[in-house]
Amino acid sequence: MTSDLASVHDELRTVARDVLGAVRTRTAGSVPAPVEWSVLAELGWLGLEVPEHCAGAGASLGEVAVILQEMGRAATSSSYLGSVVLGVGALNLLGAARERDELLHGIATGGLRVAVVVPTAQAEVASAETPFRVESSGGRFRLDGQASFVPDAIDADRFLVLARDQSGDVVMVVLGRATPGLSVSEQPLLDATRRFGQLRADAVEGAQSALLRFEADPATSVQHLADRGALAIACDSLGLAEAMMEATAAYARVRYQFGRPIGSFQAVKHACADMLVQIEVSRELVGAAIDAMVRNDPDLGIAVSMAKAHVTGAAVGIVGKAMQLHGGIGYTWESGIHTYLKRALLNRSLFGSPRAHRKRLARRYLSVGTNEIAGSRALS
Amino acid sequence: MGVSEEEYVNFQKAWFQELRHAGYAVPHWPREWGGGLTVGQQMVLYQELAAHDAPRLTLAFVAIHHAASTLLAAGTDEQRRRHLPAILDGEIWCQGFSEPEAGSDLASLRTSARRKGDVYVVNGQKLWASGANHADWCLLLARTDPDAPKRHGISYFLMDMHAPGVDVRPIRQATGQSHFCEMFLTDVIIPASQLVGRENAGWQIAQTTLGAERGMVMLELAERLGNAGFKWLLQACVRPTPDGERPIDDSLVADRLAGFETEITALRFLCRRLVERNDEGRGGPADASVVKLYYSELLQRMMGFGADVSGLAAHAELEKPLSSGWESGAWVLDFIGSWEWTIPAGTSEIQRNIIGERGLGLPREPGVQ
Ligand SMILES: Cc1cc2nc3c(=O)[nH]c(=O)nc-3n(C[C@H](O)[C@H](O)[C@H](O)COP(=O)(O)OP(=O)(O)OC[C@H]3O[C@@H](n4cnc5c(N)ncnc54)[C@H](O)[C@@H]3O)c2cc1C
Repeated sequence: MTSDLASVHDELRTVARDVLGAVRTRTAGSVPAPVEWSVLAELGWLGLEVPEHCAGAGASLGEVAVILQEMGRAATSSSYLGSVVLGVGALNLLGAARERDELLHGIATGGLRVAVVVPTAQAEVASAETPFRVESSGGRFRLDGQASFVPDAIDADRFLVLARDQSGDVVMVVLGRATPGLSVSEQPLLDATRRFGQLRADAVEGAQSALLRFEADPATSVQHLADRGALAIACDSLGLAEAMMEATAAYARVRYQFGRPIGSFQAVKHACADMLVQIEVSRELVGAAIDAMVRNDPDLGIAVSMAKAHVTGAAVGIVGKAMQLHGGIGYTWESGIHTYLKRALLNRSLFGSPRAHRKRLARRYLSVGTNEIAGSRALS
Repeated sequence: MGVSEEEYVNFQKAWFQELRHAGYAVPHWPREWGGGLTVGQQMVLYQELAAHDAPRLTLAFVAIHHAASTLLAAGTDEQRRRHLPAILDGEIWCQGFSEPEAGSDLASLRTSARRKGDVYVVNGQKLWASGANHADWCLLLARTDPDAPKRHGISYFLMDMHAPGVDVRPIRQATGQSHFCEMFLTDVIIPASQLVGRENAGWQIAQTTLGAERGMVMLELAERLGNAGFKWLLQACVRPTPDGERPIDDSLVADRLAGFETEITALRFLCRRLVERNDEGRGGPADASVVKLYYSELLQRMMGFGADVSGLAAHAELEKPLSSGWESGAWVLDFIGSWEWTIPAGTSEIQRNIIGERGLGLPREPGVQ
């Protein structure tokens, strides 16, 4: 990273920590209030990756990742995952088209929120069943299918549904909220900082112009999108783990038992030290995955799976320890640690479990002969 | 949450009476007070209850375990006659030990009890008392001699929760429920007849009865985890996930499950051995800590694994079934609830200190009084 870019990131991080931290402080303990969408638009965070001709900043995932980490740190409630990570990400994978540019423009300026209907339960989606089918004839299409755990579906104005067409390719169908045959319902989860929905399309019909195609190979594109989701979640887990480490170390300095700060007991001190080590390791994996994604490295899936598997698992351990080391206070609703634990647990399950991502990594070993060394090979 | 507090209390009380009339509410008590099953028989009973997913006695928990064992070990005849039958009739108890500044360092508690003629006048604040909002009586630790060394100035009382000056406020927990409470005590009068043991001997009573009692609780909990808990975990692993695969077909999942089954088998045997050893008066100084630590951390690992294998679906389970055990199949909530075992009654860190110091004779950390 150039030093220019590093200072841009530092500045972005400082602003994000202020803005998001203030929202967090206002709502500590209770169900967190969502950060105002208009604030995110004004700060330019919605259009970071949107091309400049669509009112965006033409920046990269590197900048979005800074925001994501800070959102994890503050356990921010927002539709950033749906509209920016997945929405802008998906639209940028399409070939240039007027419909696409209008959507990007709408997102960047804050007037439009989207939800992308892409599998959120798995690590590998390219070969997976697509829960939606689309059939075209005579300039019209017909869409059927249903999906659960769709991020930010409740607030979305448009739905970008990934569906398989007659020829077996995955295409994107753009639907308005009030489309006949389309039903959206909220799917409440324990993590109250996130909003998910269920979406169902029963013989939804529309004009062929609402059906957009990926620029590159569709299967690769869909996997790329899932990898973006997985990486975004890893960033979030890194941020929330940092917040919990800092909160725990701060508490261990001021909480006295047996006439001493509890941080002076080795059981507490060593547990805090382990958090720091895990976070340092996690930061490297997340950083490497962001770089791979920004460079569009052919091996980016490897980097993403390493980050997602390790960081989201470690974060659950760190928040759990934070709860433990806060004692009774840690188990109260008021302390807010449960908010972080629920979020960290959901992160572990979203876009594929650590086990699923490690399985993806391990598949590369199977083709290695006894004399070969497993190098960095692209995932098939 | 979905079920009202009133429904919960009514259900728990009715279920207690059902078990009582079947002779299964207090199997661990001596025969003369209504119990009398051998340790082996108790294990069979707990296995059967677990196998049928029978509700657990959560509301009566402190009454049938902590209160009863304290009264049996250190109470007067009159105290036993007054309370043991009443517990069978539904008297609810809570435990008022911890305070804001006295958690792990319980001996530094500050709630004071001043003798005035044949009563004590109690002032102070207690924290985290589970079930205090429904309790009729409280096992209370209070300082009777402010000048004595910390552990030598504490007395053990039976406090009527309906007495004037007792103010209870529920605190919301990580799971969303409010089972533990803050308790403000202002000039609460406790008759001297409700002192347990000698004045200023409360610390030892709390230590011995709690230690002995922990093993008995574990007997039931280990059977629950071994039967109901493991069964549900296995079910979660054979159920196909959204991608159509069954977790159990992954050899790593199968390996973890086999590991859990092994550990829970060992824990069940260990609980039995320790309870029997204690009954024979041959208990080791760290026995209770060993089972408490092992149980609570195994519970946490098993629930965390359940949450992991059930994926996103477990996050949509917003409530645990009424009066279910620590393992209910709502894995994310079960996992969060497992801190309800690793924090109270001596945290895992404190248990390890006890095992190292009392079990192995290792020195204390420097500077700790
Ligand atoms: C769900 C729940 C129910 C409870 N129910 C009751 C109840 O019914 N009645 C009652 O009286 N109390 C109850 N408690 C209180 C419980 O016993 C205390 O929370 C516990 O003893 C820890 O005390 P603390 O919360 O003050 O934490 P602290 O003592 O402040 O501990 C904070 C952290 O420091 C660590 N620590 C402290 N000292 C040491 C040391 N010497 N060495 C190493 N590590 C150390 C602890 O392990 C912990 O991780 C309950 C608590 C919970 C969470």
